[in-house]
Amino acid sequence: MKTKIINSVLVVSFFALLFYGCSTYKEITSKSGAQLWGENCVRCHNAPSPSAFSDTEWETIAQHMRVRANLNSTQVNKIVDFLKMAN
Amino acid sequence: MNQKIIFIFLLAFLFYLTSQTVVPGQSKDEIDALKKEIMKTKPGTSTFLLRGYAHSGLEIMDDNSSFVGGSFNPIFLWRQSSKLLFESELELELEDGETVIGLEYANMSYFLNDYITLRLGKFLIPFGTFGERLHPRWINRLPSNPLGYSHDEQVGPSSQVGIEIRGAIPVLTGYGINYSIYLVNGPNLNDGSIEPEEAGKLHYDNFLDNNKNKAIGGRIGFLPLSDATLEIGFSGQFGKVGNTGSQYEDVSAKLYAFDLSYVKMIKELKSIIDLKGQLNIVEVDNAEYVTGDDPNGMYSFDNVSKAYYGQISLKPAFVKNEILNHLEFVGRYSKLLLPSKAAWGGEKTQLTFGINYWIDWRTVVKFGYQTITVDSNPGLPVTNSFLLHWSIGF
Repeated sequence: MKTKIINSVLVVSFFALLFYGCSTYKEITSKSGAQLWGENCVRCHNAPSPSAFSDTEWETIAQHMRVRANLNSTQVNKIVDFLKMAN
Repeated sequence: MNQKIIFIFLLAFLFYLTSQTVVPGQSKDEIDALKKEIMKTKPGTSTFLLRGYAHSGLEIMDDNSSFVGGSFNPIFLWRQSSKLLFESELELELEDGETVIGLEYANMSYFLNDYITLRLGKFLIPFGTFGERLHPRWINRLPSNPLGYSHDEQVGPSSQVGIEIRGAIPVLTGYGINYSIYLVNGPNLNDGSIEPEEAGKLHYDNFLDNNKNKAIGGRIGFLPLSDATLEIGFSGQFGKVGNTGSQYEDVSAKLYAFDLSYVKMIKELKSIIDLKGQLNIVEVDNAEYVTGDDPNGMYSFDNVSKAYYGQISLKPAFVKNEILNHLEFVGRYSKLLLPSKAAWGGEKTQLTFGINYWIDWRTVVKFGYQTITVDSNPGLPVTNSFLLHWSIGF
């Protein structure tokens, strides 16, 4: 009985997320590099200053964080462009 | 007179010519030299970067106190191209009077396309988020780890050898999903033949597999909101853990984890609130083990271990006060539940409070107060600790 309740909650949650997600997807793809930098870094640690590393170093760090934080290339490229511009 | 004038004129003209030919020549040399200097610093297509983190501190307990040497973790990153990355982390720490060097991970990532990355080698296992993302000392908000989330009394894997595909896809939920599927050697079962007191316990440093079976696992993370503040993750790992040819050959382990992260700026408080939580469950098939006292005596137990924690931190980063906006207030509740009938079983509760002072975005001084209660043995006194650590990321 307990397992059935847990499974039901999980299934309902999944479809609720799916439904909500479809409505917000367009909003996310239009986000700037600055927004993505601010939102993603703080999920684990403080957001770094763009001046902390050189442009070349940011490219290497971005690849490392793409793997570690499971980001896709669009997100990473936008963040790197922002960091280089603000550096 | 005319000859004198002509001579002076020619001399002046000659001086003009020589000055015109020498100066531009010198400037050209200078420019060429400058170009060469610039070319020396021009990055190639492959780049190397050394990063990492370190920590040290003072720990005061009920009956003793000690400065702890902490650790130094250099991270080596080689970016071979836009498609290829090698990363490795060493852990150098002082342990029992010696310097111990450990290989945390060493792996190669190949970016197959925008959404799929192939990884080979020894890598941090995405079993929940603490082990993979939050354990580095400059990221962990408290001076200690939750119960069951450090190398001693470990419930769940940290790093293993194998192959993995991972990535993020902007579908299904608001911010998208991230995923990982991997095949690794998996943990191995301590059958108690050498250490009877550890019979039934899983060891996660199975770098040379003890059987033909490989453990399959993965994690899926949902970011349902439009601003990446919330992430909910489910992880699992399944495989046989017994030695080939032994009576434990068919003993399997099922590992599950559930994790949650919520990071949000609260405008009213001018602060960032950070909630983290994770539950690890390790289920090993029942088996009979030799008792330590009697070589012929056998015993069995429900081999289920659990470790969970919940953590909240508040960082008033946007208040005007220069001291207050560098502070962070943290609280964590952690619980470890090991099989009660196992020789290594028991139940513990950890309560930790901390105040952090952030010198900059990656350097922190952490003050913590922690209690650990052994719930399975009420006769044991509660352990109280004052912890003062500094951590730096670089």
